[in-house]
Amino acid sequence: MNLEAVKLAAANNSWGALFPELMLACIALALLVFEVVLPRKQHRYIPDLAIIGVAFTLLGLFLNFDSASLDSETFNGLLHHDHAGQVMRVFFLLSALLVCVLARVSLAKRAVPRVEFSHLVLVITAAMMLLAQSSHFVMLFVTLETVTIGFYILVSYFRTSAASLEAGLKYLVMGALSSGLLLFGIVLLYGAAGNPALPMHSANAMHYRDLAAFLAANPHNFVASVGIVLVLAGVAFKIGAFPFQIWIPDVYQGAPTPVTAFLAVASKAAGFAVLLVLARDVFASYAWLVIPVLTLMAGATILFGNIAALTQHNVKRLIGLSGVSHAGFLLLGVVAAASGAAMATGAVYFYLFAYLIASFAVFGVMTHLAGADDSDQELEHYAGLAKDNPFLAAVLAVGLGSLAGIPPLAGFMGKLFVFIAAFQAGARWLLALAAAGVAISIYYYFGWLKAAFFESLAPSPDGPARPERTPVGFAAGLALSVLALGSILLGFYQGPLGQWLTLK
Amino acid sequence: MIHATLHAYVALSAALFAIGLLGVLIRRNTLVVFMCLELMLVASTLGLVAFSRFNGTDDGNVFVFFILTVAAAEVAVGLAIIVALFRKRQTIQVDELNTLKH
Repeated sequence: MNLEAVKLAAANNSWGALFPELMLACIALALLVFEVVLPRKQHRYIPDLAIIGVAFTLLGLFLNFDSASLDSETFNGLLHHDHAGQVMRVFFLLSALLVCVLARVSLAKRAVPRVEFSHLVLVITAAMMLLAQSSHFVMLFVTLETVTIGFYILVSYFRTSAASLEAGLKYLVMGALSSGLLLFGIVLLYGAAGNPALPMHSANAMHYRDLAAFLAANPHNFVASVGIVLVLAGVAFKIGAFPFQIWIPDVYQGAPTPVTAFLAVASKAAGFAVLLVLARDVFASYAWLVIPVLTLMAGATILFGNIAALTQHNVKRLIGLSGVSHAGFLLLGVVAAASGAAMATGAVYFYLFAYLIASFAVFGVMTHLAGADDSDQELEHYAGLAKDNPFLAAVLAVGLGSLAGIPPLAGFMGKLFVFIAAFQAGARWLLALAAAGVAISIYYYFGWLKAAFFESLAPSPDGPARPERTPVGFAAGLALSVLALGSILLGFYQGPLGQWLTLK
Repeated sequence: MIHATLHAYVALSAALFAIGLLGVLIRRNTLVVFMCLELMLVASTLGLVAFSRFNGTDDGNVFVFFILTVAAAEVAVGLAIIVALFRKRQTIQVDELNTLKH
């Protein structure tokens, strides 16, 4: 072993560039230490410490937003830090913060350990932040697996509930299957790009830049195209795109509501951050293959998600399938980005932020309406919500309105930007399909709102009773108001956020 | 002595991968499905080692260690979930796990 080479490699490890991730990891470990050290009476404060820790990490990230390591590679090309990476870091930290707030409400209803939940959320968040900045397939695979394995535990977290365990098993099988596809795709790409007989072959074939250079020199390599399709399929599983969306309704229904929110928002965004880099930059010279595959996937995803959501009565399945259709709209943005539309990347990020704000508002309301059996959340349970709790009903209206894309709300602007980008890219047919999808989606979102606003409580003596609603606490109330106001404000005025997301 | 070529290794790796994938899609016992998932990872590992040897680069070999670690973590969590589910439902047949169908 050459000692000089090791020293040279270590010189490139700038741990300072990973400050937010390291901070999260340290907080996550500290939480476990606190659980051992502190007396049992004080254990209920530990999840709050996690919330404070995430908030401070977010603050630190903002203070050091234009850090010196921006636009550079660290750890010998494993990570590439850029503006988009910083944006995604903020995104994941915000999701973690909101998940922890929702978990305070949701986990209190069952006798489950709460410290470990925060621990896992923080570890997964750190891994997702690294995932969004990875520029090497080893880094991509390891962080993606850290995220996925963490989610196996979180999905089956209510381990006395058959529904939660079953969802965990289904997610396990589907997640491992997608990892297998992704990994085999990486192997084929590595084998092709490292082949000494081919031009531009590389000794560092799993690095994005070297791989892109190889693909540009061999634009019709069979092994590489199979590899690309497998990698895209693996990522499509994570974002729940058709035909890899079969796990979504069951897993979303069985998982604890905060985990469903985390899966729907952060896990999906992580998939899109990866997909954007791969489709736009790394696989750019295979556009003849990537764009048709993604276009077909986007069209089918939009149609399937919206049509399947029409018949659902369980709100968790409903929001899961509507999330599939949102993945379709985001894929439309990715297709536009891969075809070279200038504003597509910024539009996808704006859509993700609008989706985060609106989704967490809806999930926040769902957490307050769920009973002890977390998978049993039917549309009928929302009857009379406007009369009993106008605050929750208003937040639900804003959140669902934004998800449906009703004009003055943030979700509308997100859809508009993505559609404009798709128009620039010339994806007319897909655009028509997406517009039809929006029209269908309004139907089921309004069915939900109708239950909350216009249906009165019909007490049926034979049917099972509606679960008791949880009163809104201070932290959750504050978070929900901020989210609802954010959806409204971002709809009217996108200035600073839009500018911040417009990537260099 | 016959030397196995790269093609033989890659063909074997692809065959193992296909067997694993088919097993996941066809078999009804969760444990067998889980074994097939591991087979898919092993197929990738074999492919990596073969390509690494043929290409003369070491990063494929190093990647194998990461995959082994990840697979071990996956098995630890996965078997825990299967055991907990079996205690709750007394079955691990995929067909009978239908609490979540509406």
